[in-house]
Amino acid sequence: MQKYEKLEKIGEGTYGTVFKAKNRETCEIVALKRVRLDDDDEGVPSSALREICLLKELKHKNIVRLHDVLHSEKKLTLVFEYCDQDLKKYFDSCNGDIDPDVVKSFMYQLLRGLAFCHSHNVLHRDLKPQNLLINKNGELKLADFGLARAFGIPVRCYSAEVVTLWYRPPDVLFGAKLYTTSIDMWSAGCIFAELANAGRPLFPGSDVDDQLKRIFRLLGTPGEDTWSGMTSLPDYKPYPPFHVTTNWQHVVPKLSTKGRDLLQRLLVCNPSGRISAEDGMQHSYFADLNPAVKQG
Amino acid sequence: MAGNFWQSSHYQQWILDRQDLTRERQIDLKVLTEEEYQKLMIFYANLIQSLGEQLKVRQQVIATATVYFKRFYARNSLRCIDPLLMAPTCIFLASKVEEFGVISNSRLISTFQTVLKTKFQHAFQQEFPYRVNHVHECEFFLLEMMDCSLVLYHPYRPLTQYIADLGQEELLPLSWRIINDSLRTDVCLLYPPYLIALACLHMACVIQGKDCKTWFAELSVDMDKILEITRHILALYDLCKSFDEKKEISTLLNRMPKPKTSPSRPPSQGPNGDGQESQSRQ
Repeated sequence: MQKYEKLEKIGEGTYGTVFKAKNRETCEIVALKRVRLDDDDEGVPSSALREICLLKELKHKNIVRLHDVLHSEKKLTLVFEYCDQDLKKYFDSCNGDIDPDVVKSFMYQLLRGLAFCHSHNVLHRDLKPQNLLINKNGELKLADFGLARAFGIPVRCYSAEVVTLWYRPPDVLFGAKLYTTSIDMWSAGCIFAELANAGRPLFPGSDVDDQLKRIFRLLGTPGEDTWSGMTSLPDYKPYPPFHVTTNWQHVVPKLSTKGRDLLQRLLVCNPSGRISAEDGMQHSYFADLNPAVKQG
Repeated sequence: MAGNFWQSSHYQQWILDRQDLTRERQIDLKVLTEEEYQKLMIFYANLIQSLGEQLKVRQQVIATATVYFKRFYARNSLRCIDPLLMAPTCIFLASKVEEFGVISNSRLISTFQTVLKTKFQHAFQQEFPYRVNHVHECEFFLLEMMDCSLVLYHPYRPLTQYIADLGQEELLPLSWRIINDSLRTDVCLLYPPYLIALACLHMACVIQGKDCKTWFAELSVDMDKILEITRHILALYDLCKSFDEKKEISTLLNRMPKPKTSPSRPPSQGPNGDGQESQSRQ
């Protein structure tokens, strides 16, 4: 490959290795995502195609930019803008303490990126700290759209295994087949709590059952009165009636009252009750947000 | 990706004008007349349709594949890649992009062979000469040539919205069929899908004797454009009347510009040179 000089391996993505590289002409640093084309039947993997065609349409400051696609004999290389680290690595590096203003800024940018996706009828479906990139200017960008999809045409059946367990909402855990933007809003809530706690995951469940128990222990076990239709979901099974005894102040001690209010509007078991990204951005928690972040 | 057509790559990169098309077709039109060229494009669209139906994919996938095919040849001569290979490749790529689910390449090829034998014997006497690796290679060229603009907007969805607004459900089947027919013209390369939907709806109104003048007047769209689209589609119907595919297609296929390399060449000697990286965009 002549145009880019490979510098170092950054990680493994959904469908290939990611390298840091330098454009030989412009010296611009980029991330190269190699898509392996095995000799199997699929040709260009559909997860890679999905990412390519969605990122081609989604150009926004809080969404990682796809610069170029390189083709060669046995591989496809996606050229992305380079970000210094992902949110997971950021957590590892901050030693259990994140400035509340940084939490606010990251959360606002996450909602802004999501609002843009959702306004383009695209669901991310796989939000987690590893998929949120942070650059040295403190900008946050949504990445890894391999599982994202355009939801323009109502499709009844989506594959069940989409969201990483910890960030998966109860409706999906109960086997809901018709996803809406609310799937991303739950994940955003989990990430918000994790940000506020400087990297401690909110619901680190070990399996579906454990995941649901952790959720209900915190939020209370929902019933048909608060979530109509829940009991008819494909994988529904009854859980012990946990009552809300948890004090949110204990869950996210460093988060302000307004922040806790926003968090509770995101973490709603009934998907139709979750706040949208657009409305979340208007929440009073962001009233004192650094104007530079707001303008982006 | 609905509702954002104006920011889409479809609108920004792939609404071409008449002159673009004429210019790019010059090479082919040295050998073929405009009418012969159109007949070949109709033939290949029929081929894609038959393959799609045999594979039981949705019409959306067939429509996307047909537009990919037309986009490729809007920028390339027919001799650049054999359309007989491009047609199944377009279905293959479209089924992945439209999330129909991956069609296995072996099933794609065996189904295509069946379609050729049962429905297109008059055109192709020989076995389908391509293999899986050719389809993969062709998929690359197609992706590259389209600059990875894979998300398409079709007239079907705006059509159903307009019909709901108009409140005349009985117009849907005919308008829908006219949209399918319009894939055999250049309109999908030249006009935004909502205008194509309106033109097809307008034609259906005329044919079924529905008076929708007031409704159209209140839309305040450019009626000239709608008439242009209508003329394209009427020209197609005229052409089809005089097109005896079974009789004519062999001669047309013989005269069609052909790739210089034979399909059995190893992929490493593809049009991309000796395996060097090529770039979709600099």
